[in-house]
Amino acid sequence: MKNKIKSLLISSLVITSATMSYAANNYPENAVRIIVPYSAGGGSDSVSRALAEALKPKFPEGIAVENRTGGAGSVGMSYGMHAKPNGETITMVAPELVMLPHSGNGGDIDYKKFKHLAIVNSGYAAITVPADSPYQTLDSLLNDAKDKNLLFGNSGTGSIWHIAGVGMEKAAEVEFTHIPFKGSSAAITSLLGKHLDAVSVSYAEVASQVDAGLLRTLAVLAPHRLIDAPNIPTAKELGYDVAIGTWRGYSVPLETPDYIVNYLTDAILEAAESDEFKTFMAVSNNDIDIIGPEEFEKKVQREDTFYAELISGL
Amino acid sequence: MIIDALLLALQPSVLLYMFLGVAGGIFIGCLPGLTTTMGVALVLPITFGMDAAHSILLLIGVYVGAVYGGSISAILLNTPGTPASAATAIDGHAMAARGEAGRALGISTISSFLGGIISCFFLILISPYLAEFALQFSAPEFFMLAVFGLCIISSISGRSVLIGFLCGAFGVLIATIGIDDISGVARFTFGNINLFSGVNFIPVMIGLFAMSQAFVAVEEMTKEGRLEAKKVTRVLPLKEDWRMIFKNSSIFGTLGTFIGSIPGVGADIASFIAYGQSKSLSKESEKYGTGVTDAISAPESANNGVTGGALIPMLTLGVPGDAVAAIMIGALTVQGLQPGPLLFQNNTEVVYAIFIGLLVANVFMLCIGLSSVRLFTRVLIVPKSVLTPIIFLLCFVGSYSLANNFFDVIVMFIFGVFGYFLKKIEVSPSPIILGLILGPMAESNFRRALLMSRGEYDTFFSTGISWFFFILILISIFFPLLKKVISKLKSAN
Repeated sequence: MKNKIKSLLISSLVITSATMSYAANNYPENAVRIIVPYSAGGGSDSVSRALAEALKPKFPEGIAVENRTGGAGSVGMSYGMHAKPNGETITMVAPELVMLPHSGNGGDIDYKKFKHLAIVNSGYAAITVPADSPYQTLDSLLNDAKDKNLLFGNSGTGSIWHIAGVGMEKAAEVEFTHIPFKGSSAAITSLLGKHLDAVSVSYAEVASQVDAGLLRTLAVLAPHRLIDAPNIPTAKELGYDVAIGTWRGYSVPLETPDYIVNYLTDAILEAAESDEFKTFMAVSNNDIDIIGPEEFEKKVQREDTFYAELISGL
Repeated sequence: MIIDALLLALQPSVLLYMFLGVAGGIFIGCLPGLTTTMGVALVLPITFGMDAAHSILLLIGVYVGAVYGGSISAILLNTPGTPASAATAIDGHAMAARGEAGRALGISTISSFLGGIISCFFLILISPYLAEFALQFSAPEFFMLAVFGLCIISSISGRSVLIGFLCGAFGVLIATIGIDDISGVARFTFGNINLFSGVNFIPVMIGLFAMSQAFVAVEEMTKEGRLEAKKVTRVLPLKEDWRMIFKNSSIFGTLGTFIGSIPGVGADIASFIAYGQSKSLSKESEKYGTGVTDAISAPESANNGVTGGALIPMLTLGVPGDAVAAIMIGALTVQGLQPGPLLFQNNTEVVYAIFIGLLVANVFMLCIGLSSVRLFTRVLIVPKSVLTPIIFLLCFVGSYSLANNFFDVIVMFIFGVFGYFLKKIEVSPSPIILGLILGPMAESNFRRALLMSRGEYDTFFSTGISWFFFILILISIFFPLLKKVISKLKSAN
């Protein structure tokens, strides 16, 4: 009996030491968490949770979403940037990563301190007016903006949809009065009450009111027409060179070893193609837009220069 | 159609989920630190695998339960479980301290129920009109509403109105920390990333109410050893309470529904306004703060009145009435439903199921509440040496879990110590909370209104709603003075 126990103990020791020496390439051996820098229940949170659900088969020890909110996302992104580079902390990043530093509101966040894995979703700004607004086309709105100071609602000064409004006015060489609200829905509510002339928030956020005939979208600030709104022209088609949108990507700290980065990237790209994720994205008004690591890296660099210019001009 | 909806809402499994939702909501609501919004957000991921009826009705159950649950800890422990019951704590705890905890809980339960039911009827009967009304609120109206709310400081400041206003101003000042909504400039952040989005008012509230109360309890323990347990004798309200409850619920349940239907204004503001109005309407306003039954019934019927009201802009316009409704919109879109006018056209049965579900959730709340009042009041028998460490623990866990940020725990602790000293000099912390909630609303809407009017100050008097609130502000400032003059004249006669 004693011997049996002894041999059992020894064999278990051998096994554990064996697995420990293997550990180096045995990712993921612990539970992994996705840091979402925005609050539970919002778009970023639900997309990340859906992705985590689709990632589950690849992470037997579990994968969970953790919301670390504050500072328009800078608190959570900074936390994820400083996490141990062992692949156990993934951070959801958004354009705020390259926007906030230029307005001085980003704390220490820096896109160069991340290894960017993949983008799964994007959404573009739209110029939307009340359904009974006199403006039927983008041109008529922008023409009026030349001598009238139109009220343009956005989701907060320095937020992505404010930048979209600024981008629109620069492209059309007019000036709006930007009215910041705390979040997109407050701006949309004010537009529904006809207190504003237009809003420049994302199309996904106004889609239900547009479908119901309460609001009308004149144009989307996207590089191509949106799948959900094939009848709405892009600003580009109408002769205004402006495309501004948000995206949701996943990144890990820069020092993360390559084999972990590769594992994670493959897993995310695969999960983003899964049926359950696709169904979720379709019903929740989010457009799937899959971008791999190299393109992601370039996109972040490009947007960093773009926002540096736009924000310094505010 | 109604039959379809009944079949949806009254499925045994839906009823079970709702019952569990209400019970869970009450539990979450009465724990200091776990707010209504957090409770609903916690349950949200579970609903992703359910169908629409199960999902939304479970969330509604949690919502209704949590708004009510906050009052339990407010009354028993003087630590409001949610901001919406901070106003209830003032008189509720005074009653409990007098040994009338059961009666206070009974009043709160029945008022919450009636407030909720009234809001249901408004939601069912006139939601399109209420939504139309709510849409008329623009920046000037929000500013006036916020200032009107701030006037309530005079009703909740306890001993000295002057100190009350000082505390309110302190709250407003704390709220200026962070990135300014309008200009995007960081104010008083000292480069600390944790202050960029401002000081979260939930940790402040947990500190001022719960933590400070726990400090007081520690002090009492060292002094007296053990407090004698008070026996709870009554659960149902007294005969003379019923009329008062019906009167308050019909007035303040309606008020709560209206306030709830205005996007961006929630249960916390509604309950404070109800407290203030109930006091100024009362014949014995000087007794407020010492355990007046009206002062429990009014805020409790108002905050549950908000539940139905908050669903109005969500269902009719597709915009959230408060933070909880925002999460529910998320839940509905995940189900492939678009909240808004189209929901009434395309998914009428879901809309009716929500109506029925809200009614049922309120009935569950009443049953669970009344049947467990005795159980809740057992908390008072628990020795302080056991209860206090639990409250300490809840304070830490609650403030950490808000954003998973330790900074919030530090904020909570600082305000806990501060609140303890306020208690020592008998100053009520409620005006600080009110200042924190309403200060930013007043400031940003003042500036937004001027932006929208391009600098014209007459925008504040351009609509009937603005004038209405302006007159209310004048009344709430001068009415107490007038009352004093009248009573002096009377006594002179």
